[in-house]
Amino acid sequence: MEYDYKKLGLSVEELFSRVDHSDLESEKITAPRYSYWQSVFRVFFRKKLNIVILGLLVVVVLFAYIYPSLTEYDRFGNLMNAEAKHLTPGAAMELFGRELKWILGAGANGQSTFDAIWTGARISITLAFLCALINMTLGVVVGAVWGFSKTVDAFMIEVYNVMANVPYVLLVAVMVMLLGPSFRTLVFAMTITGWLSIAYFIRTQVVIIRDREYNLASKCLGTSTVKIAMKNILPFMTSVIVTYVAAEIPLYISMEVFLAYIGLGMSEMSLGRLIFEAESAMATPGWGFEFWSPVAIACVISVVLYVAGQNLGDASDPRTHM
Amino acid sequence: MTKYLLKRLLHGIFSIVILVGIVMVMIYSMLNRNLVFAKDPLYTKVSGNAKTAYCYQKWEEYGYLDYVTYGDYLNELVKSGELDEETRGDVASFGRTPDKDSEAVAEYVAKFTETYRARGYTVERLDAMMLGGRKVASGGQQQLFAYKDLPLANRLWTYFTSLFQVESIHYVQEDIPDRGLTFTLHDPVYEGKFSPAIIGNGTRHKYLLYFNSEFPYIHQNIVTIRLGTSYTVANGIDVFRTMTRSQGSYVLRPMTFPSGLQENSADDLHSATYQPNSRTNNAVYADRFIDDYTGVDTVKNNMSKMGYSFTLGILAILLAYLIAMPMGILMALRKDKLLDKLGTIYIVFISAVPSLAYIFMVKAIGGRVFGLPTLIDMESANKLMYLLPVVSLALPSIASLMKWLRRYMIDQMNSDYVKFARSNGLSEGEIFSKHILKNAAIPIVHGIPGSILAALTGAIITERVYVVPGAGNLLTEAINKYDNGVIVGVTLFYAVLSVVSLILGDILMATVDPRISFSTKDR
Repeated sequence: MEYDYKKLGLSVEELFSRVDHSDLESEKITAPRYSYWQSVFRVFFRKKLNIVILGLLVVVVLFAYIYPSLTEYDRFGNLMNAEAKHLTPGAAMELFGRELKWILGAGANGQSTFDAIWTGARISITLAFLCALINMTLGVVVGAVWGFSKTVDAFMIEVYNVMANVPYVLLVAVMVMLLGPSFRTLVFAMTITGWLSIAYFIRTQVVIIRDREYNLASKCLGTSTVKIAMKNILPFMTSVIVTYVAAEIPLYISMEVFLAYIGLGMSEMSLGRLIFEAESAMATPGWGFEFWSPVAIACVISVVLYVAGQNLGDASDPRTHM
Repeated sequence: MTKYLLKRLLHGIFSIVILVGIVMVMIYSMLNRNLVFAKDPLYTKVSGNAKTAYCYQKWEEYGYLDYVTYGDYLNELVKSGELDEETRGDVASFGRTPDKDSEAVAEYVAKFTETYRARGYTVERLDAMMLGGRKVASGGQQQLFAYKDLPLANRLWTYFTSLFQVESIHYVQEDIPDRGLTFTLHDPVYEGKFSPAIIGNGTRHKYLLYFNSEFPYIHQNIVTIRLGTSYTVANGIDVFRTMTRSQGSYVLRPMTFPSGLQENSADDLHSATYQPNSRTNNAVYADRFIDDYTGVDTVKNNMSKMGYSFTLGILAILLAYLIAMPMGILMALRKDKLLDKLGTIYIVFISAVPSLAYIFMVKAIGGRVFGLPTLIDMESANKLMYLLPVVSLALPSIASLMKWLRRYMIDQMNSDYVKFARSNGLSEGEIFSKHILKNAAIPIVHGIPGSILAALTGAIITERVYVVPGAGNLLTEAINKYDNGVIVGVTLFYAVLSVVSLILGDILMATVDPRISFSTKDR
């Protein structure tokens, strides 16, 4: 069939030109440049929601870590001021002036609820991140060894069977009684057995990937076990680990709230303790703000951390990089 | 299959023994013993030597050590016939300081010291604390006692051997006539109406086997489970009974006691246990009973701790499966549509938000907006009061069930055999109900026994928020009150449930899916 190339305004020579054969060029195998982390962020930022979530995350971190050092929060600053207690936002602003710190009203001691929340949030978030860091590091290292070695596997499965049944509340309670109700105690109590379930999870993942063909091939080519673990298996598990951490961090915040609620929390003013102490205010008409605002902020923080982590986990899966 | 399960069970029992050992080390060796006195009003009132003796006495009650006083030792000797009552009176009171002992006393004190030192005890003699020259300070009386920390192996052995108590007609140590078992067709509790029963004399329980109108109609007292005696949580009562006995107010009904006395009472005569010398010590018992089987339970009008937890838990499981199964399936079928997105938002919310927060939200919304009762009131007949706790309990299970069912369904939908079935001309409905759903349900089935058994243990937060008189708070209560017996008992109970539910889950999974087999031979 004859096609009228003139319609395009181009000559046949312009459309089709002869390329000379080059031995050198044909030997080259080229793939587009691929950088893992660049692709991760490219995929992550492709979603509009992620930018919003990341923005919220920045706000949360700024408020939790910078804001408390800018404002002078004194829990008992207004203790003697009878008028300052249990105020709604409107009343608090009328009494103290239009400031950011009174935006959520005042609590039982006349303290600013807003300041109290962020001071507590800082402790809770730090706790969650610290516990996640310790548990994850231990869990991944132990889990990797556990998955690779059959002798370690036989032993660790037994340890896991026993330790998984220790009532968590009991463990924390004994730790709190032994070491006193402090931040360190709680970190210790939450990490002393916490890594075990992560290690078990990682072990299962390692067992699944360990005997795949590409690892077998790698082994046949003489790659050392350490290199297989570091170069073949660990990158494969990055997304799994990130997704797991994302689910884990809100869990620690939740755990802290739970422990504070049953009276086993730390002495520092964490989010959990704030909720625990404001619980009596929930049912009292007009005092609801003191209770619901820490609950709401705890929800926002957890959801933001969770969603950001989940989506980062999705983005760090190389299969989404196409 | 049977061999495999037996092996699993033995394995589980081994794990449980180790676990109980670990918990015992944690509470008996690692914790500061003086903590048990933190809430003890009597502790601050006693002083001097009496305080020391009081501490050891309490520690024995809490199970930390074995404590024997000089007086106890002499009583033992009298019982075994090595010492007569008269000499005991002479040697019982020892001097304020060792050098003030009379010769006879010194001899027995030396004997006491020697005997218990040989058994590994530490013998302590506290000299009297004097006030001025002659007066003994308050609480300053001289003390002589021996104590020994119970070693772990010993503790474990005693604990596990006394776990199941089988009745024996030699239980009663006092001299009583006609030891033995009687089988009767006419249970005396029902005043001669036809009702078979086995009655023991010399056993701990009087009624070893009997019928009554409560499920499961036939009851036994031959084997009693003893998880450990509670000390502060429920004074002197076994943990298992603390969890299973009825609560609420007494159910008074006209009844006839063995002595013929007719009275309105809540006593349950079938639960009678032997209490030594109770009739001679207590006129009330003497009026009512003709033998020393006077320790009776009372009938109360409400469920037990475990009953409440289990009722709420089972209702929550039913609700969760009823909602989550169709929701998970619909989410998988309408992947990336509105319903799927809404479901995902719900799952994210529940997994991220602290459970305390959404339980309070349910309570507040249910209470204020819908006007539902927000507390469990034992005296109320309103069935609606169960609604909010059940919903609170179901929310997380719904989320996780939905999440996993959707995941498994989507995995199955993308698999090759489904494409093959479709290309072979099977209708979508057929593929879905006969292949996808069945395969996706298998991992879900594994969790069913676990969730049902977990309902027995109760939920800590939900029960606290709604003031449910359930079993969930038993562990936290025991921890707060330093009730070691209860802590160990509850731990054992939890561990047994978790081992059993894993095994049951495997069995159920193997029944549902014929491809799964646990014995190598079947393959």
